Amino acid sequence: MNVTDNRSTGNGFVRGEMQPWTDYSDGRAPASGSVLAALLADLLPRSERALIVGPHGTDLIDGVAARSAQTTVLVRSVSDAEALRAAITNTTVTIVAGSLDGLIDSLTEDEAYDLVLAADGLDRVMGYDAPQQDWQTRATALVRAAAAGAVVVVGMQNDFALTELFDSRPSHKRHGDDEWWPLHDDPTRPASPAQLREALTGLGLETPLLWATVDVAGETHTLIEADALAATRPGRPAARIAVRAFETAATAVPLLASLAEGLNAAACAGQLGAVTPGWLVVCGPRPPAVHTIYTRGGNTSSVLAADLADNRWRLVTVAGAGSPPAGLSANESPAEVPDTESVERLLLRAAAKEDVPEFRRLAEQLGDWVGKSAAEFGPGAVICLDDTGVDGDTFARGVLAWRTVDESGTAELLAAAWHRFADRLSRGHHRHPWPPWMSGADLVRTWLSMSGETPTDAILDRGRQIAESVAAVVDAPQTAAPIPELRTQLVEAEMARTRAVELAGHVFGLERTLKMRDQQLKVREGRLRSLRTEMSRFRGSRAARLAVVIRKVAVVRDPKRLARAVKRRLPGH
Amino acid sequence: MHHHNHYYAQAHILARYCGLDDDFPPRIRGYLQHGWNVGCGWNPVHEFFDGAWRFVWSDAPRRRGHALGRRNYHVVGAPWLYLMNLEPELGAVPEQEREGTLWFLFHGWEGGKISGNHARLIDEIRETESGPVTFSLYYTEYERPEVRRYYDKAGFDVVSFGRRGWNYDGTDRRFLYKQLAALRKHKRVAANRLSSAVFYGVAAGCQPAVYGDPMEMAGENPLFGGTARIARLWPEMHGKDIDVAVARDITNEELGRAWMMPPAEMRMLFDWNERD
Repeated sequence: MNVTDNRSTGNGFVRGEMQPWTDYSDGRAPASGSVLAALLADLLPRSERALIVGPHGTDLIDGVAARSAQTTVLVRSVSDAEALRAAITNTTVTIVAGSLDGLIDSLTEDEAYDLVLAADGLDRVMGYDAPQQDWQTRATALVRAAAAGAVVVVGMQNDFALTELFDSRPSHKRHGDDEWWPLHDDPTRPASPAQLREALTGLGLETPLLWATVDVAGETHTLIEADALAATRPGRPAARIAVRAFETAATAVPLLASLAEGLNAAACAGQLGAVTPGWLVVCGPRPPAVHTIYTRGGNTSSVLAADLADNRWRLVTVAGAGSPPAGLSANESPAEVPDTESVERLLLRAAAKEDVPEFRRLAEQLGDWVGKSAAEFGPGAVICLDDTGVDGDTFARGVLAWRTVDESGTAELLAAAWHRFADRLSRGHHRHPWPPWMSGADLVRTWLSMSGETPTDAILDRGRQIAESVAAVVDAPQTAAPIPELRTQLVEAEMARTRAVELAGHVFGLERTLKMRDQQLKVREGRLRSLRTEMSRFRGSRAARLAVVIRKVAVVRDPKRLARAVKRRLPGH
Repeated sequence: MHHHNHYYAQAHILARYCGLDDDFPPRIRGYLQHGWNVGCGWNPVHEFFDGAWRFVWSDAPRRRGHALGRRNYHVVGAPWLYLMNLEPELGAVPEQEREGTLWFLFHGWEGGKISGNHARLIDEIRETESGPVTFSLYYTEYERPEVRRYYDKAGFDVVSFGRRGWNYDGTDRRFLYKQLAALRKHKRVAANRLSSAVFYGVAAGCQPAVYGDPMEMAGENPLFGGTARIARLWPEMHGKDIDVAVARDITNEELGRAWMMPPAEMRMLFDWNERD
């Protein structure tokens, strides 16, 4: 490889580097994370010469370097290359700054790599000085670097992802010059798992494995084999894992509406694998020991893997203990879970049908199951109805397992489960038969009673507390100032309109009352006036005048003196 | 309008191209690139006001500028190409009469002086150039006797095309006209760094060469990668005997020939039409 040495930085250069620039901060993160690292640990063979193309986290680079005699890392930014050089101590790793076409041109005719990793995809491998190559040309260049029989891992971002379709930003704001990505208006750019496979097969590669990937702004959250994702249905474990990953991914995207309905529809159609934010395809011989699913586990950096056999998912924690979330601690995951719908879906279905007897039956069954299984689950085992499956005549815990740090009783854990259900019912704008004046607490009281527990204030409060702890770790982290999505805004606007109509009615009622009060005052005034007239008439009558004289006479104290005074006024005196 | 737009009287040339007064060119609503550039079209610390439009010669500065988070670019092509259209005969001589080399020394500017080994450069020029050498110094070096003396003593014809101006003052409105006339008389154009003058020369029909000590300039900002990056990106444009056909293709790209526009379009673009 003909690489220009830059003595001031200790890094090599090939044509087309960018500076100033970074792909490692202020935007989408490089391909990274414990989930992707766990897959690559199972996947990648030992190699003599490995090539990593595009931005990748140091964890992945270290992982590749540990199994390769020589590793070359190509990044397009000079400052990123310098930072990687400082961060990676392995002396078998060479960092090169430049663009992919510059690297390919620098290779000698027989120079190639037996492992090529481009998990970040082929969107961040060219600089502004490089020719504006389409995806096919970049993929061809990548394949040129691979030796015959090499393992080639390529990431691909999906323009048809739900997170893209529901993104409130216009296309040029989502992926464009801020990230210095090639324009996505590229006829050669694969837009489905089948097209991606076809494109790489057309370049002479075998594509035995293809994972649907869900990442949170670049860091992989979940990997599910595309075929397994196509086979799952709403509420089943693979779909539940995918939905949880989508919800986390959505926190990095300003959405027009919640993804829930779209995800449900895609799962019904067997198309979840077509709408994930990306894919990761592995070209070359199929590795012997990879799992079907890799996803974030209960602790911060733990990775849970799962494989389906005989309609049951076998679970295993493959990496990273990590630290437990606040208020909860990771419980031991069940060894297997049935590939069935979640209890939450059954309850939502009954609620939507306004089938309260069915809802009551399920609630009662839930109460029985929790009571009987307390010993098996261990103390404080948290129940999430969205991650609890149906298992024949009873229920079964799902893949995510936590227990409360403080001791919690069965009633409190059930209250927490119902609080969480109430939150999700409300947030998802699901139809249900209970009137709007029944608050969330009222609903939880009702449902807890259906489950056979007495809903005291203390139990409800403790349940609320646990539900909030669960939401903090299970649900997508809420930002300090979340951007309200359009559907919620429309619902709120509709509610505001309804309230405005109701308030207008209230004002009308008040006006009516005022009008009637006015009429009442008028009537009273008329009566007062007639009484006054009657009084004045009475005062002018003889009887009234006589009464005045009598009143005056009655107050005379000295009659003789009065008589003298009258006499003096008489004529002739 | 930023006073850089008046540099080398480029705004004047565009005004004339649009059929307007080139004594007092109308205001350009934005910034006009004034020299070939491996960055976003301007120096790394150039000031821009919010919402300003950036009129660049070619697409590459637009792409680099976008990568820096800057927007509102429009590629217009280099004013040099418009000048060549306006002055098809200026300085032109029959091809067989063109002779010698017009050699451009990498120049400083009002805020930075160059330093390097002039004597060694002269030796290399003498070894390389077979014909007469006209040595162009920008006024910043032309007015430094300690620099100019080297090239005078070497027997070169030392010339300067004038000042680009500063704050609208002192702009030699014939700067690029004189440069065009001189280039059309010479067979070769050469410089110690790939620069505007080399591309101008290729556009004017010269055979290019880039060689010799690239020298250093005080305060030079290496943010965009400096001469090493230029050498990596345009290796074909470095050397004493450059393939002319390749050089023409690169020159057309760097001067934005494909982006040239008719006068009516430019008047609208610069908001130069009367609105009364």
